[in-house]
Amino acid sequence: MYRTSDPDQDDIFVIDSHLHFWDASKENIIHEGGEEFIRCFYDYHTGFTPPEREWTLEEYRKYSRERMLTDLFENGSVDMGIFQPTHLNEFYDQGFNTVDDNAAIEADYPERFITNGRFDPREGEAGLRELERQKEEYDIDGVKLYTAEWRNDSKGWRLDSEEAFRYLEKCAELGIKNVHPHKGPTIRPLNRDAFDVADVDDAATSFPELNFVVEHVGLPRLDDFCWIAAQEPNVYGGLAVAAPMAQNRPRKFGEIMGELLYWLGEDRILFGSDYALWNPDWLVDCIMNAELTEEQRDEYGVELSTDVMRKIMGENAARLYDIDIEEKKAQLQDDAITEEFDLAAHYTDDTPSTAD
Amino acid sequence: MTPESTDKQADGIPTPDRIRSVLEPVTDPELDRSIVTLGYIDDIRVEDSENTTHVHVAVTLPTAWCSPAFAWMMTADARDAVEALTSVDNCTIELREHMHKTEVNHGVNNRLSFAEAFPDAKDGITDLRSTLDEKAVISRQYGAVESLLDAGLTLEQIARLERSDLNQDAAEDRIAVDVPGAAFTVVASAAEIDRYLAKARSLDYFADSDRLFRTPDGDPIAPDNAKLIHRRARLAQVNMDGQGGVCDALHQARQSEPSD
Repeated sequence: MYRTSDPDQDDIFVIDSHLHFWDASKENIIHEGGEEFIRCFYDYHTGFTPPEREWTLEEYRKYSRERMLTDLFENGSVDMGIFQPTHLNEFYDQGFNTVDDNAAIEADYPERFITNGRFDPREGEAGLRELERQKEEYDIDGVKLYTAEWRNDSKGWRLDSEEAFRYLEKCAELGIKNVHPHKGPTIRPLNRDAFDVADVDDAATSFPELNFVVEHVGLPRLDDFCWIAAQEPNVYGGLAVAAPMAQNRPRKFGEIMGELLYWLGEDRILFGSDYALWNPDWLVDCIMNAELTEEQRDEYGVELSTDVMRKIMGENAARLYDIDIEEKKAQLQDDAITEEFDLAAHYTDDTPSTAD
Repeated sequence: MTPESTDKQADGIPTPDRIRSVLEPVTDPELDRSIVTLGYIDDIRVEDSENTTHVHVAVTLPTAWCSPAFAWMMTADARDAVEALTSVDNCTIELREHMHKTEVNHGVNNRLSFAEAFPDAKDGITDLRSTLDEKAVISRQYGAVESLLDAGLTLEQIARLERSDLNQDAAEDRIAVDVPGAAFTVVASAAEIDRYLAKARSLDYFADSDRLFRTPDGDPIAPDNAKLIHRRARLAQVNMDGQGGVCDALHQARQSEPSD
């Protein structure tokens, strides 16, 4: 639980809605694209991480489950996390960040993690069967979609294509209601246009029963994203990549938050660290301390108040994933993570937290 | 003597500073900021031999993987801007430290089309350029409208402005504006309005109508829609500025890249 500086405010339950457990070790890379991809991630990492918290590239290629648990939970900044898989099988022999590897962690810490599935409409019938398997084995409520992924000669796919619609119909049928398309910064060596946000519009209109969480809020197409989201009530914004701008580009972060709150409102924005892109153990604190300038408050007529942040940091994701936060806090009082990191005080009423 | 060579004598051999100033209007199309201000220009060399003036411009972008289409636009625009000087006979470009520098340098310096230089690329760059130009002009519209609001006009009045309502005869950094529907004039700061007009003119914005501003879809602005359109313009501006922050951070990260 995140403790605010205001003693009258309750602690904030934080759901990190965007986590990875990846392997970009040299042994796993089978295409030069795999090397370029992890180096590109690393540029984003060092570009928006305080120097003293930077990882080395070797650490960054592959990290242990223990390190991840420590980074997420040790100081109590995150209460739960949602895995967003990214397979990239053309680049990585065993996949980059797979549903099965994510689910193996969830199996050991079921109260702490949610595993999302994924699909790729270019996989045809076999892909639909695979989606059914993910639902059956892991009871997924969401899918992460990577429209820029390479497959044979194809350099990407669109969410408004006939094939993609077959998969979205399958999601609706199976009750997989949260769709997370990665729409945002170009990641080399992938094609820039495959991150275009326009295809979300048609899909969101055609599937009002599904929620579309646009990861990375469309940057560098924030304008297109916000305009679509303003008209489609089932479109949400995932803050990964925008969030760490709070660290070294606070004015720009304030403007982006102002626009998101103006066009989408406080109920449709979800915090995500994109771990291991960035570490929540410093990022959560950094975002919670971010403020709009006086000029920005006047311009947008909004504030990053504790109540707004409580929604963005956890309540909005809890609503999409049917998490009852009070019930969850009771469950977390004595789970394995609470034991390991001595977090019981976070989940019992009116006891001061040990974390600062 | 041809008129051109007369000009050339009059202009003399351009200095690197003169070249830098003609590069000033060339923008990074995604950020709509000058490639000079962004620090992309590494080196400018002017060589004069046997009555031929040759200029060489070296360019480095924030990331080695900046879109090749963007790299192409910036380098081709830079060459065209330099060659527009009558005192320059030809200009070559050297894109440095970019994953597609070979294709871009070969293509731009040999005047190939983008499609010839990148046979794998599905589309040309015309559509992309026009999408980005539209974003840039709407983003500049935000600044221009803000200046007019500061001068005391309302959004509804601003929506009705025509180019002929602007009077550049005022002091250099001010513009006198005839207020639509009123018999008086206000004075506004010129910088943002000029910046908008430069882009709008370059896109042939006023070919069919003298109306000063438009919606992002290119239509005239209905007065009761003026507030929404201004907010969309602000959004376009925030997007470009935000992306500028991402590029800037990547640029700094690149400078401290490990060799692994």
